[in-house]
Amino acid sequence: MFNNEHPVIALTGATGFLGSHLMARLLQGGSRLIVLGRSTKEETLPARISKLLRWFGMNAPADRLETVEIDFSQPKIGIPEATYNKLCSRTDQVIHCASDTNFSERKRERVFAANVQALSGILEFAAHGRAKAFHYISTAYVAGINHAVCRETLPAATAFVNVYEESKAKAEAVIASFCEKNSLPLKIIRPSIVFGDSRTGRSLKFNALYFPIKTVHYIRDIYLNDIRNNGGKKSRQSGIFVDAEGYLHLPLRVYLPQKGSINLIPVDYFVDATHRIIAGDAPGGIFHLTNNSAPTMATLAAYNQEFMKIRGVEIIYGRAGSDAGRNPVEELFDRFIEPYRPYLSDNRIFDRANTDRATGHMQPPEFTDEIFKKCMDYAVGVDWGGSIFAKEAGRN
Amino acid sequence: MKESARRETGKAVNEALAIAKNCRHYAMCKIDFLGGGVCASGLEKHFVSFYPEGRMDLYAALMENAIPVTEKCLEIAESCNLCGCCDYQCYFVNEMRPTKVMQALKEHLRAYVKGGGNVVQAKDDAILGAMKKIVGADWASNDPAIRITYHHDLCPHVTFKMPEYVVLPNSTEEISAIIKLLNRNKIPYCVRGNGASSHGLVFSEGAVLDLNRMKAMDFDEKNWSVKVGPGTAAFDLQLEARKRGYRVHTAEPAALVCANIMTSGLLSTFSTAYGISADNYIDAEFVAGDGSTFRLNDIAAPNLFSFRNSLSEQETIAICVSVSVKLHPVTADEGGVLVPFASLDQALDFARECATRHIGLAIGILGGEFVSSFIAPTKRLAAEAKDVFAKKLGMPYLVLLIGDAYALRSVREMGHPLIDQKLFKTLFQGLPALASAKWLDLLDEVSDVEPFSYLRLGQFAELAETAIAPSPALQARDIDPDLRPFFEEVYSRPEMSDLVWLNTFRIQSSRYCREKPCVAFVFYLPIDNALIGAIQDGLRAVAEKHGLKSEFGFITPIDSGKRCVWEYDYYFDHNDPAEIARVRQAAREAGDLLDDYSKKTGTIRQVRYVVNQGCCRKENLLYS
Repeated sequence: MFNNEHPVIALTGATGFLGSHLMARLLQGGSRLIVLGRSTKEETLPARISKLLRWFGMNAPADRLETVEIDFSQPKIGIPEATYNKLCSRTDQVIHCASDTNFSERKRERVFAANVQALSGILEFAAHGRAKAFHYISTAYVAGINHAVCRETLPAATAFVNVYEESKAKAEAVIASFCEKNSLPLKIIRPSIVFGDSRTGRSLKFNALYFPIKTVHYIRDIYLNDIRNNGGKKSRQSGIFVDAEGYLHLPLRVYLPQKGSINLIPVDYFVDATHRIIAGDAPGGIFHLTNNSAPTMATLAAYNQEFMKIRGVEIIYGRAGSDAGRNPVEELFDRFIEPYRPYLSDNRIFDRANTDRATGHMQPPEFTDEIFKKCMDYAVGVDWGGSIFAKEAGRN
Repeated sequence: MKESARRETGKAVNEALAIAKNCRHYAMCKIDFLGGGVCASGLEKHFVSFYPEGRMDLYAALMENAIPVTEKCLEIAESCNLCGCCDYQCYFVNEMRPTKVMQALKEHLRAYVKGGGNVVQAKDDAILGAMKKIVGADWASNDPAIRITYHHDLCPHVTFKMPEYVVLPNSTEEISAIIKLLNRNKIPYCVRGNGASSHGLVFSEGAVLDLNRMKAMDFDEKNWSVKVGPGTAAFDLQLEARKRGYRVHTAEPAALVCANIMTSGLLSTFSTAYGISADNYIDAEFVAGDGSTFRLNDIAAPNLFSFRNSLSEQETIAICVSVSVKLHPVTADEGGVLVPFASLDQALDFARECATRHIGLAIGILGGEFVSSFIAPTKRLAAEAKDVFAKKLGMPYLVLLIGDAYALRSVREMGHPLIDQKLFKTLFQGLPALASAKWLDLLDEVSDVEPFSYLRLGQFAELAETAIAPSPALQARDIDPDLRPFFEEVYSRPEMSDLVWLNTFRIQSSRYCREKPCVAFVFYLPIDNALIGAIQDGLRAVAEKHGLKSEFGFITPIDSGKRCVWEYDYYFDHNDPAEIARVRQAAREAGDLLDDYSKKTGTIRQVRYVVNQGCCRKENLLYS
């Protein structure tokens, strides 16, 4: 049972990337949390949460953290009625962070079930106990396609890059309508692409920014192994070799539809800004957590070439020709970045007026070579997430 | 003997006994499927006891005091020259080294004789004398060292019987005379093709007729047929047919063609094009129960084309002494592909569509257990491969399709990403490097948008080849060091990574029980996804209830996709009495489950009901 002056916040998605960072930040700030989540086949919910908190260097504070098993597909989100009523009555605010971030069209049903159909349960939970605020973690990309300036207003877009964007836009509309009807103050927080901690490089997830880098990393290792251990015949056939300075010459032409940038914010900025917005006086609103000085892919490619000791990566604006003339690396890389391509050369401008007001003009740091290196060092060190908890266990 | 030497001897004995008791009785030591030779004494003497399989049984029997030491024991032991060719064969199949048993058998008997142990001489009786008059003195025996190797197999359901006599006739006339002799003396008998038994069907306390000597293969190319004797193994026949530019429809490589046709009826992945049961042969010759002979094509011949869907009438009515098997044409553009699927439903849809449209010669939906067992040279690698295919690559089911260039083009036009011959060779020869290949993680992410879309990349095979660096040496990396050079040479042969050759000769399918033997449920049914899903759930639940490993084996569509043949397997440890008891009970319950579905649907036919009706018309079996 909680017992102090901080508000009680019910948080969903605490086992995900953004949710776990929010959980840690809120606990560090003294908040009292009810984590609504699910066990997996391998681990109970409390075990999952404890493991995550250990990664943050924290122990689960028994007096301020409660975990509750839920199921969005069930009435009253799967919580027995008596418990449900008690939890609702104790909840001051709800942060809904749980989301299915899959981009795949063939997963449409699953994505909409998680991101839209599941909303009614958590919204009713908030309304039932007369919570004082509902906070929804959305995405800047609800703006959809063809919006040069993206306002901090409910989305009007009808065309989206993928099913994830579409579902989040639909979710915003559903939530806004419900909250208005139930006089429930609503804050919608829309981060762009979130990567690891800009100060430490640490991250719990390695998709988005990390995926193209990881792809190049694995491809580099394939050819280095070919050259060092198998005579390098295959490498030579693709024009790949180690140059006099020890750099791997890896001809890789990356085609992007137009010039643009990749809108990145570090997770430390995300949690600080979100914390300020949630704790702030504004009764509600929509907030873009985006970066006004986002790097281009050419910049990232340059960072990465130095980081991985490779040369030959070229960013080309325009459509790629036929597959003829492309080496295996280019063909593979091209296919691998396909889902992410629209985000790699983005021309949209994100209005941040609400965010700047609510956060006192706090800005994300510029994405420097140093931050890149810090983040990628960490990613490589934990095998792109493969050994993240094993490494943490070893460290502890 | 010093204590340390005694301990070493004891260890060697235990190891040899463990190997001996793990022989799977697949008779792979009787065919030269690797080109490394076959046990010379077996080829000369023909009795099972003179093959490595028989010596393993003999050694186990002697160590467990099941039989006395006889003169034949000594002859059998000394007939082995420890050439080691059975190590290649058995290692390929089961990762076992029979030569250790052969050596232990020799040492055991030499020590026994040296220690003054009594060597029993089997005495001829009147029946044996009469048998010898018919087949010759070398080809009939009542010596326990001979009889013991005909008295059991790994089937968990039957009570094994020790025969009084084993006789090896070499002609129809000799078989006829032996039958008449046995009838006159009211001696029960059973018939084996090459002495092997794997399904508990051929045991008798009377006489066993082993037809291993009758290996005739008479090609009649103008009539597209080859007449084969009852001792002819599938592998040997296929080899001869291939030399002449044909293919014959055969089952497991060491299985006997006549026996296959007679007992369960021939079926394989090629059944999609070549059919089952009576589709496979033109004519056959028999010795009837009274010793008379007849041909199937005789107007007055018994109607072996009929089918009775019951267990009650399964006594064999005649001994098949030859079958005229169909020869099938082979085109130079044949090739193979593996089409991956994330679910059985999708695999069934694809297989059904191909069969309905008559695309491909051979089609088989293979589960992860079969795929990994077949392609991996060791048990450990098989376990890793299963994990890689199911988890890392998301391919719990692969549909194998063999066809000509037109068929393969059609499959590509159907739009499924696939593993072609080149990529298969890469994965096959690079298997040991796959489990640790980190780059496979990338494939999972990209597959989210479209499963296996990376397989569409024109140069994926090239990149995979660069990453894995496949080679025969890599493929043989985990094999025992002294056998490695031989296997590197074997794996370097083009046919050893050719999907068409591998599925025609099927030498790898013998690996499917490498980890443990299994009880196979084989049945015909419509390609009805819901029905197949429900039956699979039911079979799996029974196995789980009894703590048994069970796996999907394969499904092959037949008869234009109107039906399919499905194998589902329960694995058990044949040396563990408790597990044998569990698998017996589980098999009974699974049989009941299949009987219930048979009654409910009217469309399911179990191969256990086909036994000894394998000659029947497919239409009688499937639809009447």
